[in-house]
Amino acid sequence: MTFLTKARTLMAATAMALTAATGAFADKVEVLDTAPEDAVVVNIDQLKYETPEITIKAGDAVTWTNQEVMPHNVHFTAGVAAEAELRGTMLKKGESWSARFNEPGTYDYHCTPHPFMRGKVIVE
Amino acid sequence: MAYPPKPTPKYLLLLTTCLIGSGLALGPSWAQTAEEPAEESQPAEAEAGEAAQTPAEEMTEGQRAAAEAAEKLAAGEDDEPVILDAPAPDARRVYIQDPAHFAAVTQQYVVDGSTGRVLGMTDGGFLPHPVAAEDGSFFAQASTVFERIARGKRTDYVEVFDPVTFQPTADIELPEASRFLVGTYQWMNALTTDNKYLLFYQFSPAPAVGLVNLEAGEFERMVDVPDCYHIFPASPTVFYMNCRDGSLARVDFADGEAEVTNTEVFHAENELLINHPAFSLRSGRLVWPTYTGKIFQMDLTEDQASFREPFEALTEEERADDWRPGGWQQTAYHRQSNRIFLLVDQRDEWRHKTASRFVVVMNAETGERLAKLEMGHEIDSINVSQDAEPLLYGLSAGDKTLYIYDAESGEELRSVDQLGHGPQIITTHDMDS
Repeated sequence: MTFLTKARTLMAATAMALTAATGAFADKVEVLDTAPEDAVVVNIDQLKYETPEITIKAGDAVTWTNQEVMPHNVHFTAGVAAEAELRGTMLKKGESWSARFNEPGTYDYHCTPHPFMRGKVIVE
Repeated sequence: MAYPPKPTPKYLLLLTTCLIGSGLALGPSWAQTAEEPAEESQPAEAEAGEAAQTPAEEMTEGQRAAAEAAEKLAAGEDDEPVILDAPAPDARRVYIQDPAHFAAVTQQYVVDGSTGRVLGMTDGGFLPHPVAAEDGSFFAQASTVFERIARGKRTDYVEVFDPVTFQPTADIELPEASRFLVGTYQWMNALTTDNKYLLFYQFSPAPAVGLVNLEAGEFERMVDVPDCYHIFPASPTVFYMNCRDGSLARVDFADGEAEVTNTEVFHAENELLINHPAFSLRSGRLVWPTYTGKIFQMDLTEDQASFREPFEALTEEERADDWRPGGWQQTAYHRQSNRIFLLVDQRDEWRHKTASRFVVVMNAETGERLAKLEMGHEIDSINVSQDAEPLLYGLSAGDKTLYIYDAESGEELRSVDQLGHGPQIITTHDMDS
């Protein structure tokens, strides 16, 4: 490893450590690869989010699980979870999608192919 | 126009001029093969000869054009190519929109129903929605194009056309990706009763109706609406929609805010209303069949929606024998005579989008069956002209042909073929009274 490469690696590691420590660069809503055990669960069934309005604390995670054969997702329009829209993957029966909410606020969402399916996450 | 009764040197001269005239009238297809006139001379000669022997009133458009061109040539008149205007719109002008099976670009054909002659065409983008001012003052479309044919930056826009020159008189851009891209349903977009606004529907991310101020030439705003579909204007600022819960929504967008109220639920969950109701902007009558042919009717005014007693378009025996409505634009309503026309045939329950070969005609007031017309073709869409002696238009997407019938007798009068790739939507002007 050359000196230059070592220096770059050190700078990158420092930057990552700072970000993790301060949370300054954390997204308002982070999409998670796996469902945290302590996440609040919202089941989806019969063309509805079973608990269409939930209230959580900043930093809590929410997991949506589809209970029916008809595919559904979770879709935040532009400006709600981020500047751009956040469109969750389509969930088949038994599949889940999780996100962590880092900032207080009200986050309205809907299902992309079923605009009449609507829900809300209130973060305190 | 006189033609010599016997072969004479003068006749031969005329025949020659007819041949040239036919070539002019037949246009590019003849022109492409003009270098090999020997092979093409037979049909052209036959047509010219036929034209020469056919009374003027029985001539085809091609024969008439050939004979006229021949006469001018014989008279020594020069050919002066110009850009033509269409005749002024009338109640028998009919617009045929061809969604072309979801192609990225599309066309609309403007036809004179009285003669079956194509008057002109307009180009559109992806799944454009056509509208026509009932008074004939303009026609327009909401359309979608992309930077690279079918990909790249998307632009939605409304285009207004002069009804005679077909030149665009307005081009109004819409907020990005707000048009609902869907197989074209006649009443998913609409003009307000004063022709001031074009209203278009947005499906995703949330139900909304876009207000395009045609008078000001600008997009105004999106109006949030409940989970409802289609747009039926009843006044300059009030329109109705059909909602998922089985009611109609009344939306008043005057004063900057949208006031939404819902009517009673007027149909059961298992009574499936088709995507193609008929509606008269002039009278406010909405005619909405179900998959089985039960006809719901409403009279929409600025103040309220009044529901009429539903009736069955098909008899009990017909329904037991698998008669059901089917096709695309399956319903037509003739305002002056208060008649309903519905495309029907024998079919499985879930073949509701296949073509039909029959039209039942009903008295909208009583529900009485007035006629059952055999169309003689696989018809996907129907409509009627709104004059006192209406024409019944039957459009076959498979044949790419508009068949034109007498609406009273059902007699086929004429047809227009080669209407694109998959023509589906028929629009008219209600301007006869």
